[in-house]
Amino acid sequence: MTLADPAQMAASPRLRLVAGWLRTMAFTAGAVVLLMALWEVAIIAFEVPVWLVPKPSDFMARFFAEIPLLLHHALATSRTLVLGFLLGVAVAVPLALAIVSVPALQRGLFPVIVFLNIMPKTVVGPILIVWFGIGPLVAVLIVFLMCFFPVLVDSMSGFRAVDRRLYQITRSMGARPWQTLFYLRLPASMAHIYAGMRIGIVKAVEGVIIAEFIASSEGLGYLIMRASGFMDMTLMFSGLIAAALVALVFNGSLSIGEAVLMPWARRPE
Amino acid sequence: MSAPVQKMDQSAAHPGASIVARGLTKLYPGKDGPFHALGPIDLDVAPGEFVSLIGPSGCGKSTTMLLVSGLEPISDGEVWIDGEPLAKPISDIGIVFQDHLLLDFRTAMRNVMLQQQVRGLDRAKMEAAADSLFDQLGLKGAENKYPWQLSGGMRQRVSIARALVHDPTMLIMDEPFGALDAITRTQLRHELEMLWLAKRKTVLFITHSIEEAVGLSDRVLVMSTAPGRIVEEIQIDLPRPRPALLGEYPEFSAYAKRIYSIFETLGVYKFR
Repeated sequence: MTLADPAQMAASPRLRLVAGWLRTMAFTAGAVVLLMALWEVAIIAFEVPVWLVPKPSDFMARFFAEIPLLLHHALATSRTLVLGFLLGVAVAVPLALAIVSVPALQRGLFPVIVFLNIMPKTVVGPILIVWFGIGPLVAVLIVFLMCFFPVLVDSMSGFRAVDRRLYQITRSMGARPWQTLFYLRLPASMAHIYAGMRIGIVKAVEGVIIAEFIASSEGLGYLIMRASGFMDMTLMFSGLIAAALVALVFNGSLSIGEAVLMPWARRPE
Repeated sequence: MSAPVQKMDQSAAHPGASIVARGLTKLYPGKDGPFHALGPIDLDVAPGEFVSLIGPSGCGKSTTMLLVSGLEPISDGEVWIDGEPLAKPISDIGIVFQDHLLLDFRTAMRNVMLQQQVRGLDRAKMEAAADSLFDQLGLKGAENKYPWQLSGGMRQRVSIARALVHDPTMLIMDEPFGALDAITRTQLRHELEMLWLAKRKTVLFITHSIEEAVGLSDRVLVMSTAPGRIVEEIQIDLPRPRPALLGEYPEFSAYAKRIYSIFETLGVYKFR
């Protein structure tokens, strides 16, 4: 009647998961090393100057030499990213709930938001600069604009996907609206909201660098732009690696957050 | 209209509620005029009675259930629960649907304990009640499993436990075994009957299955479509608990044949 012991059930798939993950990592690392080696050899063979295309050995050395500088700017970028992303989620989720619940908002407000989303967000940058001046605030706002929409759309579909009959069950329990929201609606939509957040963070990482190109005095985007002004190729490549690492950290923390926040979603599939 | 009160003197701690309906009608708004889904029908369900509604799809079985529990507004007619006119969704009730409709983000036990949380009932008492239900339904060991870790039959058992844990006076089941395999269905039919014999809640049981209707009920109401109406009422006089193999009773075949022939006259079955 009862299923096997949960530990027994979970252990073997989890082990397999880790093994698979390690294998993937090994393959990836191998591919990267191979690519770098080819790159290195090609640059030496064709005698390409450093100011045009740097060798991996050049920019890796620079990367490690500039760690304090890169770290400072990476932290600035991360701060902008976190603020913009949190702002996006904090606005998108309640707004999604409102749009789904109020038909007038669905018909009146949602099309406006869709239209605003079609507009390239970075064009708003110069306007924001006029309003708020060059600084982290403008970058935060651009990140917010970039990640807001995917979170909104996925939250809306999440709130809509809750089975109507579940509301009948909570109503038969005499649930108050706030109880239905916190016991049913929010957790039931969590998977969708989280999917939106995962798309949102990718957009936010993309957006934060662009935002720093145009409207910041700090951050990796700013650093890369400044290095470009000096044709400092190795620093630009170092900044690129740092930006990739920041993206990796944020995507990774969202994955870990998913496992912690939604333990029920840990299916062995 | 005066309430045809039906109150049986029952000394049990939590007796089942009586359900009385007169001229119950439901119209759903549609593109070309309102759609007449149900009625008018009359219902008289005695406290602690097990009544099945059987009929083809679209005969208003589920609608009846939603109207009687106050979850859907009534277009016309009146309902009394335990002699009280129905005004808002009644909460002294347990509902089981065809799909288990458990919250997939809660473990089996926490799904059942949702009743305690929402209703603000005593936690220790409800945990004890849930424990004993898990025991009776063969759910021991499944307490901390998420719905996806359970089989279809186990999930449906959990939703039965959720519907009963707060000791309601009535239980409404909308094709609760419809999505299960035949073997699990027979087993769950028996478990439900045993629970009902122990608790004597009023049960309104909606089904497509003649076997389930006859196998479980005190009374079967046969319904027809468009608009849904009760065409026949059949008292089932079979000893309880009833066996897995209902064919043991010649009376069973007689009841089944009677329902079948009603379906045939209604044009539900068109065998040649």
